[in-house]
Amino acid sequence: MEDFLHLNDLLTDEEKIIRETLRKFVDEEVTPLMPSAFERGEFPKKLIMRMAELDLFGMTLPAQYGGAEAGYVSYGLACQELERGDSGLRSFVSVQSSLCMFPIFAFGSEEQKQKYLKPMSEGRIIGCFGLTEPDSGSDPSSMRTRAKKAKGGWLLNGSKLWITNAPIADLAIVWAMTEEGIRGFLIEKATEGFFRNPIEGKLSLRASSTGELVMEDCFISDDQLLPGTDKGLSAALSCLTQARYGIAWGAMGAARDCYERALSYLMERTQFGRPLASFQLIQKDLSEMFNEILKAQMLNYRIGRLKEEKKDNYVMASLAKMNGCKEALKIARMARNLLGANGISLDYHIIRHMANLESVFTYEGTDNIHHLTIGRYLTGLSAFT
Amino acid sequence: MKILVAIKHVIDVELNIKVKDGQLDLEGLQYVMSAWDENAVEEAVALKESHDAETVVISIGSDDATVSIRKAFAMGIDAGIHVSDPNLRYPDSLTVAKIINGVRQDKNFDLILLGRQAQDTDNGLTAGLLAEIADLPFVANATKIEVIDEKKLKVTRQADIGKEVIELSLPAVISVNDSINEPRLASLKGIMQAKKKTIETMDAGLLGIDSGEASLVEVMEFLPPVARAQGQKFDGDAQEITEKVVGLLINEAKVL
Repeated sequence: MEDFLHLNDLLTDEEKIIRETLRKFVDEEVTPLMPSAFERGEFPKKLIMRMAELDLFGMTLPAQYGGAEAGYVSYGLACQELERGDSGLRSFVSVQSSLCMFPIFAFGSEEQKQKYLKPMSEGRIIGCFGLTEPDSGSDPSSMRTRAKKAKGGWLLNGSKLWITNAPIADLAIVWAMTEEGIRGFLIEKATEGFFRNPIEGKLSLRASSTGELVMEDCFISDDQLLPGTDKGLSAALSCLTQARYGIAWGAMGAARDCYERALSYLMERTQFGRPLASFQLIQKDLSEMFNEILKAQMLNYRIGRLKEEKKDNYVMASLAKMNGCKEALKIARMARNLLGANGISLDYHIIRHMANLESVFTYEGTDNIHHLTIGRYLTGLSAFT
Repeated sequence: MKILVAIKHVIDVELNIKVKDGQLDLEGLQYVMSAWDENAVEEAVALKESHDAETVVISIGSDDATVSIRKAFAMGIDAGIHVSDPNLRYPDSLTVAKIINGVRQDKNFDLILLGRQAQDTDNGLTAGLLAEIADLPFVANATKIEVIDEKKLKVTRQADIGKEVIELSLPAVISVNDSINEPRLASLKGIMQAKKKTIETMDAGLLGIDSGEASLVEVMEFLPPVARAQGQKFDGDAQEITEKVVGLLINEAKVL
């Protein structure tokens, strides 16, 4: 896609190189794998070590913890390029980086940081983040998972559902209700009383591994409690704010791929003796797709710079996530329609993006919840608590 | 061994190139390191890793050529030189060769590596012109470089008649084919560290080259690439389609 608004002029040299490098990685090593990975319902595990070699996990963290010390615009651009390949791949990076490495970095003890962050940046420990429950989604404070103080640690009981990477994770960050409020626990996969079950039958994010976590009298020692998570739900939600920012960029990556594929298809395919792209109704769709991608990119870019200047807030992340996912899903559906019958074939990639974006639209805060978050900010009146 | 790699920052040809009034329309275009030059950078870094070598890249052109220089840093190159001059936005191959030779003499390089051609113009002239001006041995289109000793290399090159194996003494000029290696993707840590390195800026004038006068060739007009014609699609029974397509290949396309 052409750089219509000269966004390049706003990027540093290293941001341009990161984008270009990941574009090549996705074109050459990711996209060719994804249709069959999606069809088989398997995450292409060989990409984990490759992404670790490229330093994609925890890229914004300090070097001493295995990070690349990249800025937030770099992280956003990386998410955008990865999701051009597949939302499942970007989800993997979001979970590993924003939902697992970030809370250990922000709320963990120095021992926990030393133990987990470097191996996680090297892809040797895969993380997952357990907040959502079978009966607790948009209202996480209603969670039923309980952590009861025991001698030398805690006893956890409960279950978590729709957890990205759960079946392949070595380490789970599980949020549980204690007498002092919601706190985060680090549970290693071999812990007694801890079970992981894959979720089958998904028709979206099929190339991403999703599952359930079950804790049955699962004993977690005191040193596996995240000590900084003593502020109720806010610690867990701050992880989501990080992830939502990356999702906003990522969704536009999927949208761009749909737009670019649709544009080239419409330029080449002729009906009634002329290219489909020459018809007015089709140009209307193309111009709308183009417009929404540009608007979302500018919004994401601005919030990225504000994050770098520490002037951002969670409402901005909600706004960008809401906008990015809503518009990306619309663009994918338009592109699906523009390709006619070919639009439903995995060979043309768009149906895969479209199906994936249904999940991306819902996870990490539904569209409705983000509207209400913004509504509460505008009015000072909460419509959901 | 001191290796100089010449890299060109080119228009990303994977994007839709537009021509307006006989000139390239530069609006909205993006720029990348020329693909064959990435092979040259990779080869220099591989030589540095297998033998003791000092590696430097040079790029000639506008201010944003620093992006390609930093990308070379991220891949493992030690130092970079940027020859910047407003007249050098689109210099001809001879001017480029003269500038590279000026830097070569100034800094005493043993080996000059280049891509076999630039991705945007497909000229493939700079390496040969440089070798001629510098009066150095030259191998074009190399597919393998082996170090014999500090003063000698064994170079394999691909020709239509087969492979040629050439021994040449340093200093020398080599242009590389894309089959010589698979350029590595830079890691994020490499990219972030690359921004800390300084790029030496040089003026073409200081090398005795008048960039305003230098070009002997002027591009008069750009014509857009011819659009690919619509293909034909065949439906129906596999055997019938095969017979029909083979018939067309024999009778219409006359390729069988």
